Amino acid sequence: MNWVEYFFFQIYPYLCLVVFAIGCWARFDRSQFSWRAESSEFLEKRTLTWASNLFHIGVLGLLMGHAAGLLAPSQITEFLGLSAHAHQLLAVGAGSVFAACAAAGGGGLLYRRLFNTRVRATGRPTDLFILLFVYMQLWLGIFGLPHSLMHSDGTIMETLGAWCRGVITFQPDLPALLVNIPLIYKLHLITGMTLFLLTPFTRLVHVISAPIWYIFRPGWQIVRRNRHVANEET
Amino acid sequence: MSQLIDRLLFFKKYQGKFADGHGVNTDESRAWEDAYRSRWESEKIVRSTHGVNCTGSCSWKIYVKSGLVTWETQQTDYPRTRPDMPNHEPRGCPRGASYSWYLYSSNRIRYPLVRKQLVALWREKRRTLDAVSAWKAIQDDPETRRGYQKQRGLGGFVRVSWDEANELIAAANIHTIRKWGPDRVVGFSPIPAMSMLSYAAGTRYLSLLGGTCLSFYDWYCDLPPASPQTFGDQTDVPESLDWYNSGYLLVWGSNVSMTRTPDAHFYTEARYRGAKSVVIAPDYVEVAKFADLWLHPRQGTDSALALGMAHVILREFYLERQVPYFQEYAARYTDLPFLVMLEPAQDGASKPGRLLRASDLAEARYQTTEADWKPLVWDAGQNCPAMPRGSAGFRWEKGGRWNLEPFDAVTGEPLTPALSLAGNTEQATVLFPYFGNEGRFGLNEAAPVKASTVPVRSVTLRTGETVRCATVFDLMVAHYGLSANPEEWPDYNANVPGTPAWQEHITGVPRDRCIAVARGFARNAEATQGRSMVILGAGLNHWYNMDMTYRAILNMLILCGCIGQNGGGWAHYVGQEKLRPSAGWGPVAFAGDWGGPPRRMNGTSFFYAHTDQWRYEQMTPQAQLSPLASSVAWPRTVLDCNIQAERMGWLPSAPQLTTNPLDVGKAARASGQDPVAYVKEALFSGKVKLACEDPDAPENWPRNMFVWRSNLLGASGKGHEYFMKHLLGAPNNVMNEESEQRPAFAKWHEQAPEGKLDLLITIDFRMSTTAMFSDVVLPTATWYEKSDLNTSDMHTFIHPLQAAVNPAWEARTDWSIFRGLAEAFQRLAPGTLGEETDVVFSPLQKDTPAELAQPYGGTDWQTDKSFAPEPGKTMPQITLVSRRYDEVYDRYITLGPVLENKGNADHGLNWDTVAEITELKQTHPSVSGKYPERSSLFQDTDAVETVLMLAPETNGDVSARSWKALSEKTGRDLSHRLGGREGDRITFADIITQPRQVINSPVWSGVSSTQEAYTANWLNVHEYVPWRTLTGRLQFYQDHPWLRDFGETFATYKPPVETYSTPDALGAEHCNGNPVISLNFLTPHQKWGIHSTYAENLIMLTLGRGGPVVWISEEDAARLHVADNDWVEAFNRNGTLVARAVVSQRIPAGAAFMYHAAERTANVPGSEITGKRAGIHNSVTRVVMKPTHMVGGYAHLSWSFNYYGPVGSNRDEFIFLRKMNKVNWFDGTDKGQETSV
Repeated sequence: MNWVEYFFFQIYPYLCLVVFAIGCWARFDRSQFSWRAESSEFLEKRTLTWASNLFHIGVLGLLMGHAAGLLAPSQITEFLGLSAHAHQLLAVGAGSVFAACAAAGGGGLLYRRLFNTRVRATGRPTDLFILLFVYMQLWLGIFGLPHSLMHSDGTIMETLGAWCRGVITFQPDLPALLVNIPLIYKLHLITGMTLFLLTPFTRLVHVISAPIWYIFRPGWQIVRRNRHVANEET
Repeated sequence: MSQLIDRLLFFKKYQGKFADGHGVNTDESRAWEDAYRSRWESEKIVRSTHGVNCTGSCSWKIYVKSGLVTWETQQTDYPRTRPDMPNHEPRGCPRGASYSWYLYSSNRIRYPLVRKQLVALWREKRRTLDAVSAWKAIQDDPETRRGYQKQRGLGGFVRVSWDEANELIAAANIHTIRKWGPDRVVGFSPIPAMSMLSYAAGTRYLSLLGGTCLSFYDWYCDLPPASPQTFGDQTDVPESLDWYNSGYLLVWGSNVSMTRTPDAHFYTEARYRGAKSVVIAPDYVEVAKFADLWLHPRQGTDSALALGMAHVILREFYLERQVPYFQEYAARYTDLPFLVMLEPAQDGASKPGRLLRASDLAEARYQTTEADWKPLVWDAGQNCPAMPRGSAGFRWEKGGRWNLEPFDAVTGEPLTPALSLAGNTEQATVLFPYFGNEGRFGLNEAAPVKASTVPVRSVTLRTGETVRCATVFDLMVAHYGLSANPEEWPDYNANVPGTPAWQEHITGVPRDRCIAVARGFARNAEATQGRSMVILGAGLNHWYNMDMTYRAILNMLILCGCIGQNGGGWAHYVGQEKLRPSAGWGPVAFAGDWGGPPRRMNGTSFFYAHTDQWRYEQMTPQAQLSPLASSVAWPRTVLDCNIQAERMGWLPSAPQLTTNPLDVGKAARASGQDPVAYVKEALFSGKVKLACEDPDAPENWPRNMFVWRSNLLGASGKGHEYFMKHLLGAPNNVMNEESEQRPAFAKWHEQAPEGKLDLLITIDFRMSTTAMFSDVVLPTATWYEKSDLNTSDMHTFIHPLQAAVNPAWEARTDWSIFRGLAEAFQRLAPGTLGEETDVVFSPLQKDTPAELAQPYGGTDWQTDKSFAPEPGKTMPQITLVSRRYDEVYDRYITLGPVLENKGNADHGLNWDTVAEITELKQTHPSVSGKYPERSSLFQDTDAVETVLMLAPETNGDVSARSWKALSEKTGRDLSHRLGGREGDRITFADIITQPRQVINSPVWSGVSSTQEAYTANWLNVHEYVPWRTLTGRLQFYQDHPWLRDFGETFATYKPPVETYSTPDALGAEHCNGNPVISLNFLTPHQKWGIHSTYAENLIMLTLGRGGPVVWISEEDAARLHVADNDWVEAFNRNGTLVARAVVSQRIPAGAAFMYHAAERTANVPGSEITGKRAGIHNSVTRVVMKPTHMVGGYAHLSWSFNYYGPVGSNRDEFIFLRKMNKVNWFDGTDKGQETSV
């Protein structure tokens, strides 16, 4: 275990989580008006409609899969009757579908952000940076898929899950768990943690504030619009 | 408290329901609401306005939040008008509402800036030399001087301290004054009315130095020369409220809703009240939507339409039937009954000569003072010539006979002058010139000379000779194509000059429309005693023969008795010329409190000479003369006319002499003889020469130039590219070869100078085109950062500009900028300049006794050596002025003693003002060490209060004294016109509280109150105060020899002139494969800016197309293969510009409209033709001067600053237009190319 691994797998997770927690709190308290997704739909709509939906479906699926796969103790999967092998196949299968959605949608978003002149001119450098970063993380995950298929016994997933649970239960010697994990997973881990680190400083904060309650608000007002007319205008 | 902690109670938010479950009570943090509350919060709201020559003068609320100006909204507290009159509000427009953008924009000038090359030279020289020597060293090396001149406009400004900038400028001024003379230090700033103390700051500094202040109203071509010609007044017009009183409104060449946005509601309200309205414009102009009828004469031919209408009015309301109101008005208030002597012309016929004067007759009763200036009428009762009161000859004598009371001036008996001599058997054949055969377009062939029979009377002159005389009325009837004999009247359908059919051939306006409008206009005037009005503007006034058009329209108004009546008259709105407290402001602005006279120069002649536009002149005076012109001795070129006018004292000069006037002054004092006589003789003998005779010699160049409150190079500089080439020596797009003409009176240099100016200083708040081409740029306070005054002709209120915040960054107010310069000057001058004697030439000025200098025109003492010239009579007035260069600062900050000794004066009235000076000393004590006992002008607020204290319009006591002065002059008690406001005071504290209506003053020709709107010439009509013209009445007839030679005795039709800017060869030479056509180039006022201000304001750019555009018709677009929004290039001999095309059915074929003025700094790409950055609208213009405007020393035709003088017309110009193949932005992608701006 060298000091690099010690830093990234024993210290960095806490660093990221602390910055994430305090950063989000501070931003939420100090700068309410910056707490938003900063949609650029106003500037470009056509690409955004399919790319954004696809990307968000994919990413949300992946997020939930990761949460379930990594944080649930093996007792739960065993209780559900899932063998490690089946668990792994489920993860790879569902993950691939969601990853494909996210990759396609993210590609669309990236293309739009780079080549649509209005979006490009209006956006800030951080908007491009964070999209690139999420997209890179996505592809790191996808690059791990061959490994997962090669080791379909589920041991890698087990190990990574153990590490994650170790982080939230404050276990010592966490890097030791990852000794036999391929590099691609380690990189995916590090960038994944970095996403937490970056969240308070970017538009990613909107992940925390999905306006779910909006759906359940009292007093709906129904506004219809004529799609035909709207399309003619564009 | 904490947003997050508050949210922890999220699930306990709902407390219950109300209103049958439709409402919900919640318990949650409402802190977010503060964001919306503070969004519209402001810590203070300050009243200010916009000093931008828009004539709006609207009162605004300026909102300040956290120390920054956030936005502005319209004030709504104007005092209300009487019941049944609309109120003034709302006043304001989108441009004003976007002004706060400028304060913190990237375009704001934040620090003093100096051109990099110059500051490097300066710092290097300053290491070893003192300031004045350092500047001298830079100037003495021609190569270093040209080096930084060539960089003008290429960017590269360096931030410097105020101290360094002031020192550099002061050193340049001192060196220039010592080496070349104070008149080589020049300043240009326009329209004092828009921020009068900012204007005064610069002119006060210049006037203390003896520097030259340039005029602008004439240079902008906003001055209508027809006004001094007809009224003897610069411009006096009704306020916009008076439109409401009108029954018949012609809106002619003026786009009221677009360019008079805050006033346009009065037009709407007049329409609601039932006023009839006709809009006359060549294009389907915005204001046309208000009209009952839209007439669209071909552009530039409007005078033909007006002549056709007046033909109908004369025939139907004067000849076929006499309207009592019109007859009485014409006899009392116009020159129609005055007698014109006929002169012999070819074939035994006659032509109209000059007015018969008292001095022409032998009888003793005519032998009075100034008899040359007392023209005569025909007394129908006595059957002999008679001398009415009120003419120019009575103005400057004592006796109180300068009024329009209908009495014989000699006998005091009632006098009934005959309008017409018809019925008398004596007749004469009189010839009239016709000009419709020659010009660029709008021609209608007819004989160049037309003969008419006119009733006359023979009069025996003191010379014994008998001369036949006709009344102006009889001559005018003949001039308009009519006659005393009804059988000679042409049919309306005959194409004979003057008829409705004749005008139809020229203008394209159907004859029945012309007749209908003429009848409606006159019938309304008859029924309402003159409530027919014409709103007219730049669309007419910017043409070369604008005075013909204006006079043709004024004639309609005068014939219908509309001038001087509420709801009637001429409403000329071009430029914010109405400086209401002018008498209080004048001495502060031109340092009259320390003695004078100031050096004031007419801008048009100055720029014509010093940007060398005369070297490209193609027009000649000869070609424009009437076929009946008597004089063959006309100066050869237009420049020659101007030089002759300067010699004879008609026009001012700058620079004045080829030698330094300080050296001449020194020699004159040393000579031991009368210094004025010494200078006169030196000039006559040729020892001293006038600078105008050699404008290209280095000793006659203007050397230092200040531009402030102005974008001279980006907006008003007609002949932009010539400015660049010759005055600045900067990169330019001049495509012109010099003319073959050689002036007779001016020396020709084979090589035209480039880069005459040593130093160009611009003071602005924004990086305008002018600032970009300057050597020094000083940051000034915006309109929300200083104290100042603003008035307009559109209403009678006086508005403050007020500091809502302090000047941002290192900006300073104009008052403190020039005070700082004065301080540096006074510190650096000793050793180079001390107490000096300056020789100042001033022309024969209007509204002074000198206006009566040349009763029969002038003779040039330089060409006719048979007489010795006399200053103030046959040549300019010569004054020796003592300059205290060691006291410039002390005098700048202190009100001088002259007003106490001489009183104050305006428009030829003079009154005592000791009481006001005494009070100022107590309320504003001096801070000057040298003059501790006087009153202070240290701060801008001191200057503001001084103006308000001294002006009759803001101080009732002063007004009472000025009314007394007019009462004495006219012999009629007019004190009641003060309207009971004696003792009333308007101070700065008053006008920042609420808009205040000015106090009535005899400086202006109308009065106003809360009960009635201001209209011009009201006092003349209702109080018998004479107009300040030769006859003392409204002048139809101009009898000066130069105007007679030009065939402009009466208003006549002159087609647009040929400017020779688009020779076919040039169009062929610059063909890029796309079709090239030539179009008439018109530059009206724009919608999203005021001149060039707001033209680079992002908010306004988003409303328009975001850059320069040229509007063309669909027909021309098809010929050019141009689609809307294509890039096009417009070019002619003068230069080139590029813009996007706006293709619109609104525009008439044959014309291109480029709304002025787009900034050269916003979205201007390169020219395909020259490969340099393309120019602005003025890149394709060149100023052409009309010699008749140079006339002086002739009562109403006398020069005064911005009053009379050649105007800078530009609408006769033609361009070539073509589509561009490629647009090059020079934005760094092709570095090998030109790097010019």
